[in-house]
Amino acid sequence: MAATPIASPIAVAMYPTLSGITLAIGLIVTAFFFIYEATSSRKNRSLGMELSTAAAASLFLGFGSLFLLLASGVYV
Amino acid sequence: MKKNSSVVVDLLLLLLAITVLTTPAFSDLVLSKVERRIDVTSQIARVTKTLKRGKRKAKRFLVVAAFTNVLQPFPEKITQRDIHLVMLQESAQYLSPYVVESQSLSIKLPNARIESYTKLENSKVQGSEIKYGPYKNLAQYSYAPIVVHFESKAAFAVAERLVREIEVSHWGNVQVTEHYNLVHRGAQLKGEFSRLEYQDRPNPQGVSAFRHLLARLPPRAHSIYYRDDIGNISTSQMQSDSKKTELLIEPRFPLFGGWKTFFTIGYGLPLSDFLFASEGKRFLDISFGSPMIDLVTEKLIVQVVLPEGSKDISVTTPFAVKQSHEIKYSHLDIAGRPVVVLEKNNVVPDHNQKIQVYYKFSNINLLSEPLMLITGFFVLFITCIIYTRADFSISKSSAAYLAKLQWDEVLATLQEVQNIIQKCLAAHDKLEASLRDLSRTGDIQTCKATRKSTDSLLKDLSKELRPLLAALQSFPSASQISPKVEELVAKEKELQEKLMARHTTVVEGYEKKSSGRDIENRIASQQQKIIALRQEVDDLLEFIDEI
Repeated sequence: MAATPIASPIAVAMYPTLSGITLAIGLIVTAFFFIYEATSSRKNRSLGMELSTAAAASLFLGFGSLFLLLASGVYV
Repeated sequence: MKKNSSVVVDLLLLLLAITVLTTPAFSDLVLSKVERRIDVTSQIARVTKTLKRGKRKAKRFLVVAAFTNVLQPFPEKITQRDIHLVMLQESAQYLSPYVVESQSLSIKLPNARIESYTKLENSKVQGSEIKYGPYKNLAQYSYAPIVVHFESKAAFAVAERLVREIEVSHWGNVQVTEHYNLVHRGAQLKGEFSRLEYQDRPNPQGVSAFRHLLARLPPRAHSIYYRDDIGNISTSQMQSDSKKTELLIEPRFPLFGGWKTFFTIGYGLPLSDFLFASEGKRFLDISFGSPMIDLVTEKLIVQVVLPEGSKDISVTTPFAVKQSHEIKYSHLDIAGRPVVVLEKNNVVPDHNQKIQVYYKFSNINLLSEPLMLITGFFVLFITCIIYTRADFSISKSSAAYLAKLQWDEVLATLQEVQNIIQKCLAAHDKLEASLRDLSRTGDIQTCKATRKSTDSLLKDLSKELRPLLAALQSFPSASQISPKVEELVAKEKELQEKLMARHTTVVEGYEKKSSGRDIENRIASQQQKIIALRQEVDDLLEFIDEI
């Protein structure tokens, strides 16, 4: 039976680029979140907006930190 | 006691019976030719035996064996200046239960001094080889002990304990970490070690020591490090090509007989060179022993760490190993990673063959790692949300608390006022846009319609503004801000009226079909005021923004 080599799902050479992009987007969305927190008043704040920004920010930051770990040689 | 001795007697009787019954069979078998070749150029004695049976229908057997610890250093303790002499004890005649018609033995020694060797009939020295034979028609079990005493320049490097950890990560890397406990198993050093004599040129003293160790790593090995408990060891060189990566390391000190050292070598390998898929399972195809050439390992422990979520693990080896399972907790692990531990004693470089570790893994399990990170960050954000929403004040009726509550309401009202003003300004812009459309297309009806709709919109917005202004006035803490807000609203209203007036004038001008210049002249004065008012409105908005 022929044995096919297995590689990682994403090309290893792409890890630094991917980590940079996802971390940048994640940090921008985090900035949006905190600006919203700081400028909105207690009455006007909407929980949906807060949760959605937090979810998007944590998604991008999570993937960004994973790719950062992989790019720096800690193959988790 | 009696039972023991009776068992032994039984065994002996059994053995005797077998020997007696099978001796006729043995004596029928005759080996026509036996050629033995012993290679002792390194610390391992490699014996190659070619056995030939029969003359017409000849059957040839080739036996290759490697022996460790058969070269005894003699003398056992030497000083730094002495040469390293070792002794090999063998039998010139092949010890076998069969009659051998013709046999010969040749011992290949390293290209150095031969101290002495047992001289039998038919023995001669040819260069660095000693040949015994050919001996014809020897009986069964014939034995002629010989001793060869010669100088060996080989490195007697023996790893007392080698732990090889192979960690597989499906993100693209196989990380190999090897911990060595090395010892020089040659003649022990007696007396002192003099660095001066060791480094003296042209006559360095210390032939029995070894300095370098060469390791052959697979090609495309990266991130190679060589360190010990003190830190990084910089005396190493690496040369790589497409077939192998050669790492030449030099321990912190030369190793004389009996001296020990310990170090760690680590390197990463690309995943697609070693991990393969076949028949629904994955397998790791990797070499078993140490990559160092000419290293004898007394105790070798290979730990293969597979990613979390691997199931149905099995190992295939070309030789016998002792297997066991463990769990290792590493980065981003929930249940731990399964580890297959393979142990083997007395390992020589000939054991450096490929072993296969089979297991099942689906790529979905890879997602658990980023999910853990995402959840971590999300918990942080939730904490922020709870913090900004929660009320941590101790007293709910103190003056400061009530003032804070009021200020929050003031800010909320201000924000709503701001929103409405922005909407008004948007309506103004729509008016202007309709004027520009008019000058382009000349369509008066749509222009009038736009003006009407904008008019009604602005009226609604000003109605919304009124209760907000009233609320703002009622707050005592907003006493400084509310006049500014009122000013803003008043100015905005003025702007509204002026814009409306201008719009009407322009539309009338178009209806009367007067020339463009006339229209311009009429609205010129209004235009200036409009621009000034707009500027003031913007300034006030900025001021409110900064609160």
